[in-house]
Amino acid sequence: MDIFNIYLPVAGIEFNVLLLVLIGFCVGVLGGFFGVGGAWIVTPALNIFGFHMSYAIGTDLAHIFGKSIVATKKHSKMGNVDWKLGLISIGASILGVEGGSQLVMALEKVGNVGFIVRWSYIVLLLGLSAFMLYDYFVVRPAENKASNKDPEGKTKKKKARLSQRLHKIKIPPMISFPTSGIESVSLWIVLAIFFVTGFLSGFMGVGGGFVRMPALVYLIGCPTAIAVGTDLMSVLFSGAYGCLTYALKGRVEIIAAFFMLLGAAIGAQLGVTAVKYIRGYGIRLLFAIMIAFAGISVVIEQVYKMTDIQIYSHIAGVLVIGASVIMTLVICAKLFLEARKEKRLSMEH
Amino acid sequence: MRAKKTIVVILLTLTLGILISGIITTYAGELGGKEQAALDITIDTKDLTGINLWIVEMYNNDRTLYAIVVTMVMATLGSVMAFGTDLILKYFGMGVGRISHSE
Repeated sequence: MDIFNIYLPVAGIEFNVLLLVLIGFCVGVLGGFFGVGGAWIVTPALNIFGFHMSYAIGTDLAHIFGKSIVATKKHSKMGNVDWKLGLISIGASILGVEGGSQLVMALEKVGNVGFIVRWSYIVLLLGLSAFMLYDYFVVRPAENKASNKDPEGKTKKKKARLSQRLHKIKIPPMISFPTSGIESVSLWIVLAIFFVTGFLSGFMGVGGGFVRMPALVYLIGCPTAIAVGTDLMSVLFSGAYGCLTYALKGRVEIIAAFFMLLGAAIGAQLGVTAVKYIRGYGIRLLFAIMIAFAGISVVIEQVYKMTDIQIYSHIAGVLVIGASVIMTLVICAKLFLEARKEKRLSMEH
Repeated sequence: MRAKKTIVVILLTLTLGILISGIITTYAGELGGKEQAALDITIDTKDLTGINLWIVEMYNNDRTLYAIVVTMVMATLGSVMAFGTDLILKYFGMGVGRISHSE
């Protein structure tokens, strides 16, 4: 496999080009399918395989920018991008990110900020996962049962209950999002939601796609596919900013980012196309499983920080990479099976 | 059509704003002396040739140009791949159109 090794002059290391394309491909599929940047997968992966952490983050952000162009274009073609909602989300999120980072600065003066941030991250990932799994396995079957008994109640299950309650708060100005099928919601509620997701993102130092996507579904009331597409549009802008700012600091390995983007572009096309076949609740279930693995990985990483036993750090990295590879295979398998079925049906007709 | 134009203008303004704020925030740190250590990395070019040498010389001599090249390469490759892979997938019968959003 040494023949595939290339020298990365900025990072100053040799790296297998196939591995770069493969990492890019996996995160491309997951990013296109879940509507996230996927930094929580790529950064530990590059770090484990020898990248210094700051180069891992910068290179990851650069390829995320390119990949999100591919995914946003395709989602837009499928009618999955609510541009109006996306633009509002960017504005409010920037303010939130600034608020979150200010809190980190304030906590730094008190001390032990890393511990607080990591545990908040764990609680958020595992809590979000538990909430989505509960919604999938408990709330949804109960609603289906009720709607079978009372067909008139069918309209109730179109939106998550939490979003319905938020839509009832009538603080002017009211705004509509026709692409997402939202007739009227207070602009303040929308701004507050994105401020909070941005705040969490700034506080934990992550891109925030994994918080924004569920927020769009459960709090704003977007259909899942539109939440995925709209979130990717926000990722495109944060990726562009991240790419430029990290490159200015000299922390982007351009050759590695180039090869990762080659894999990610193909992966993102497949991931977005899979949204056509794995619909609404299917996406939510797979997303909940994925962030549960990410949460467990951060718990193990936290054990490493407390015990200083290196093996825990490797287990944490391998867990999140392994889960990503398996999830990529599941999405691709489902995509190819469904596409083949569709082709067969169209030939029969 | 008018709404589309407005969206394009907003997007372009936002992109420009993000790029400018990126440059300003980075150089604000540099002027204040805080980011100096991070920006001061210089890579040894003695064993490098071809494209590696070109990249490292740009990296060492003009970090702003390096940042612009990186961002442009990612944007261009992303756009080319977006159209290219779309055509390939369409050829294999995996093209997409607008989907319904009922759940």
